[in-house]
Amino acid sequence: MNIFSYVLKENWAKQALRLLKHELRRGELTIVVLAITLGVTSVFSLAGFSDRIKQALINESTSFIAADRVLQTSRSLDLTSEKQLLTRKAIDKKSEQLEVEQAQQVLMSSMVFAENNMQLVEIQAVSDGYPLRGELLVSFDDNLTTSEVVNAPELGTVFIEEKLRALLDVSFGDTLDIGESTFVIKGVATQIPDASFSVFTSGAKVLINIKDLDATQLVKPGSRLTYKYLFAGDTDNIASLDQWLSPQVNDSQRWFDIQSKQSPLANALNKAEKYLSLASLLGIILAAVAVAVASRRYAEKHQSGVAVYKAMGASKSYIKKLYYLHWTLLSLFSIALGLFCGYILAQLGLFAIEDYLPVKVSTSASSLVVFGYSLTPIGFYPLFMAIITGILCSFAFALTPLKQLVATSPLTVIRSANLGGSGDSLTARAIYYLPPISALFALLVLFSKDIILSVALLIGGGIASAILLAFGQLLMQLSRSVGSKSGAAWHLALANLQRRAKANSVQLVSFTIAIKLLLMIIVIKTALLSEWQAQLPEHAPNTFLVNIAQDQVNEVEQFVKQQNLVASDVYAVVRGRLTAINEDKIAKQVSKEASDGSDNGRKGVGRELNLTWRAQLPDENTIEQGAWWQDNTAQVSVEQSIAKRLNVGLGDKLTFQLGSEQFTVPVTSIRKVNWQSMQPNFYMIFSPQVLSDFPASYISSLHVPLDKKKSMQRFLADYPTISVIDVDAMIVQLRKVIDQVSTAVEFILVLVVFAGCLVLIAQVQASMEEREREIAILRTIGAKGRLLRNSVLLEFVALGAIAGLMASVAMELTVYLLQHYLFNMQTSFHFEFWLLGILAGGGFVGLVGVLSCWRLLNLSSVALIRRTM
Amino acid sequence: MNSNSEIILETQSLAKFVTIEGKQLDLLHNVNFTVEAGQTIAIVGSSGSGKTTLLSILAGLDLPSSGEVYLKSQPMHQLNEEQRSQVRADHVGFIFQQFLLINSLTALENVMLPAELANDKDAQALALSLLEKVGLSERVNHFPSQLSGGEQQRVAIARAFITQPDILFADEPTGNLDKNTSTYITDLLFDLNKQFGTTLVLVTHDLTLAQRCQKQVQMQDGKLSEPQLSSTEVTFSTEQTA
Repeated sequence: MNIFSYVLKENWAKQALRLLKHELRRGELTIVVLAITLGVTSVFSLAGFSDRIKQALINESTSFIAADRVLQTSRSLDLTSEKQLLTRKAIDKKSEQLEVEQAQQVLMSSMVFAENNMQLVEIQAVSDGYPLRGELLVSFDDNLTTSEVVNAPELGTVFIEEKLRALLDVSFGDTLDIGESTFVIKGVATQIPDASFSVFTSGAKVLINIKDLDATQLVKPGSRLTYKYLFAGDTDNIASLDQWLSPQVNDSQRWFDIQSKQSPLANALNKAEKYLSLASLLGIILAAVAVAVASRRYAEKHQSGVAVYKAMGASKSYIKKLYYLHWTLLSLFSIALGLFCGYILAQLGLFAIEDYLPVKVSTSASSLVVFGYSLTPIGFYPLFMAIITGILCSFAFALTPLKQLVATSPLTVIRSANLGGSGDSLTARAIYYLPPISALFALLVLFSKDIILSVALLIGGGIASAILLAFGQLLMQLSRSVGSKSGAAWHLALANLQRRAKANSVQLVSFTIAIKLLLMIIVIKTALLSEWQAQLPEHAPNTFLVNIAQDQVNEVEQFVKQQNLVASDVYAVVRGRLTAINEDKIAKQVSKEASDGSDNGRKGVGRELNLTWRAQLPDENTIEQGAWWQDNTAQVSVEQSIAKRLNVGLGDKLTFQLGSEQFTVPVTSIRKVNWQSMQPNFYMIFSPQVLSDFPASYISSLHVPLDKKKSMQRFLADYPTISVIDVDAMIVQLRKVIDQVSTAVEFILVLVVFAGCLVLIAQVQASMEEREREIAILRTIGAKGRLLRNSVLLEFVALGAIAGLMASVAMELTVYLLQHYLFNMQTSFHFEFWLLGILAGGGFVGLVGVLSCWRLLNLSSVALIRRTM
Repeated sequence: MNSNSEIILETQSLAKFVTIEGKQLDLLHNVNFTVEAGQTIAIVGSSGSGKTTLLSILAGLDLPSSGEVYLKSQPMHQLNEEQRSQVRADHVGFIFQQFLLINSLTALENVMLPAELANDKDAQALALSLLEKVGLSERVNHFPSQLSGGEQQRVAIARAFITQPDILFADEPTGNLDKNTSTYITDLLFDLNKQFGTTLVLVTHDLTLAQRCQKQVQMQDGKLSEPQLSSTEVTFSTEQTA
């Protein structure tokens, strides 16, 4: 005889089953079932969904560096210089000594030309040993069905990325002109281990052999090149190399490993991924609140039943077995239902975004096919998390109410008693709330694997509760005194609200948390999106010409004139690094790119800056302090935000390093720059004397209307070394990325809003019996229907509005913490969302409240009295 | 204060029935009942005799199936739910066996409630003085769950008198109380009743309590039976109009 048939022979088990069957059928357990189901559904779908998205995003933003360590520099180490500490020779020697492998690559943007088309690409010239880590996969057949692991392309051949094949309309064996050389397309690179994923270097990649680079003549003085020296070896040897090499790295060089490598879009995606897991966490909290509310209601509803059982002589252990089994079966049923719903939801979500994100895993041989649509397998982790959530929620959150239920005194048959809870002493309350809060925290940590995030959410909730208990009471009191001067309905509503402040505080906290979480999602999403979209000013030049050589400047200017194009001036660009302020060497922490995310790495300090010189102050620049060049001495004008960040003012002396040269100039003016102007803008503008001897390339921005694009292409075909950045195309790409991410975010927002609604409904349902009784009493002592309806409506509206206000304050605090510590974003206030919080809170809670009480409000007094007495 | 000769409550040929599975069940049958202002009447009877049904109809909580009810000359049988509410708010007070206090409100707030519904600016002062009268001035801020049954009923009595109703309906006011408390509550109820000159209609099966009223009438199977004492103030009859 197995354990089930043994258990089912017991009376308590039979009664538990009978009870469950009847109550499920009569809808008495709907709220409990919905709450647990909702929790499991949210976790399973959110986890399954965001897990998939996370994987897709990570795959997209692969930032492997193809080595253990990389030395990156804009100047070749082969060019010897007295001031350059690191020489190629020394590095080769050390590497040999430490048995560390080496490979090199040179990166640059350039136009490539196929028979009829041209395209701005990223040239990646690699040495034979490349890659040292990871795999370069290249496909040599048209359909890209198989890929081979290879190293650098053979001389005279290139590997291109798939998107370029389409853009240029080329196939295997066709030729491609790069600079002054012609190459044969040999294969399509399906995986490049160190493909950087950055919006502003978004050109398709073309891999050539580094030995072919000279022949292209793309390497010229002033060319914007990135040299990468790759190293790989045993951990100890790499550590030794690191010890030897890192002290010798100068300020124009970067020495990094995989952890420190991040592109601006990888940052953005990283934020999006954090955001997704944040939203998932919010789902869990809401579900947990729903279960907590519902389990208490469950216990209250069953109290009289337990009392009757006990009065009839049932032992405590009998009751315990009966109700624990009842609750367990209920939980299992709800968890199973939740898994089913969650699976469906996650599939729908993935189906909705599959066009945007590559959510499918190519290796999934086991995916199910339903109606011709192959279901994306959802991993073990979301399933595990959902079941754990279901179990934790249904037991940790129900533990205390269940214990209290079992301990119900048989006296309750005669005189009703309340369950413990918010009305008890502080200790009793602490004991009451300890298991659910611990369980919640455990879930958060388990789910996010991020203690800071979990703590931030808990503290945010804690702050909300603390503010509520203090200010909520105050507000309710204030509204009470306002209400006493208003009509009777307001009077009663606010009197009820204030008088029931204690009882309302649980509801108020729940409403507040729900509204706060929703507001947070909206605010953070808005902040993220506006940050991204700020990178796309409108009505601006749509084309940048960069890498213009000195001898090409006249031709470019002439072309612009001929075509009657609107263009900015042509600016000389020299790359250099700020190394000291008033002889203080720039400390590493100053050079850490704190604003990398917000300004897309364009104007950071700690990397090389684009420096220029000008005789005249450029348009869109205004002098805030000091004056534009008054004499012919060497001096610099500094943009105001960076001056503030670096804490430099007029008269400070800045030292710059250009390659191996160093020079020092005084600051004679601070400029305000309109960064939205989409013309070449500079942090540092020097007086003409300082930089004019350095090899420079030139840059210009211009607006090319659609009908002039062809002539632009013809012109550029003659100057292959000039790179074109087509902002229009980039805007399209960036928008696509933002759309992808916000689609994912919106899907999750919908789920969270749904979860929030159910919590609110569960809350209103939980207070229904008390309200029924109160309305009966009020009816009896002569309150009119309209008054009752209005007072119920206004009570909920006021409750929701107060919760909305509280939620706004708590949201502001939490968002500040998140923006500051988690997202590294500029912090901002969002008063416009306060109004949204208050209106939405009042409107939604009012609507749900009145709808939930509608049937009650329309019952006749005698029916009400019969129901409640 | 009402004049003693005024008829405050009157029923004519009152009947109430429900139909269960096609079969008519009479709850009240041809009840004729007149009450003059300022009097105290006890309606006694066993469980299920129809006492509470009669009380519900007299107070305008329910409507008769046929017949007429006049409360303060208002034809309650013709009024809708809202209009009856208004009549209750203006003229009627209640005391229930289950006390029916609002659990989330303090004693003071429970007592204030009817006065607030009537927009009485002095609700709080009135409530405090009434709570003092019922001996609960020390417990005004206690919640119902913190009060004993007797104390809860004292709060309910204070609540019933706060609007100085013309007529007070009490449904087994001591039904949930022990003997000593019952006596205390009964004394309190009658003292206040006397003080305010309120008409009292009391439903009870406690004969000691019923004896305290000027009149006693008996309900049996939905009909009012002969009075145990004759009275000129209260007249009743059954089957006389048939």
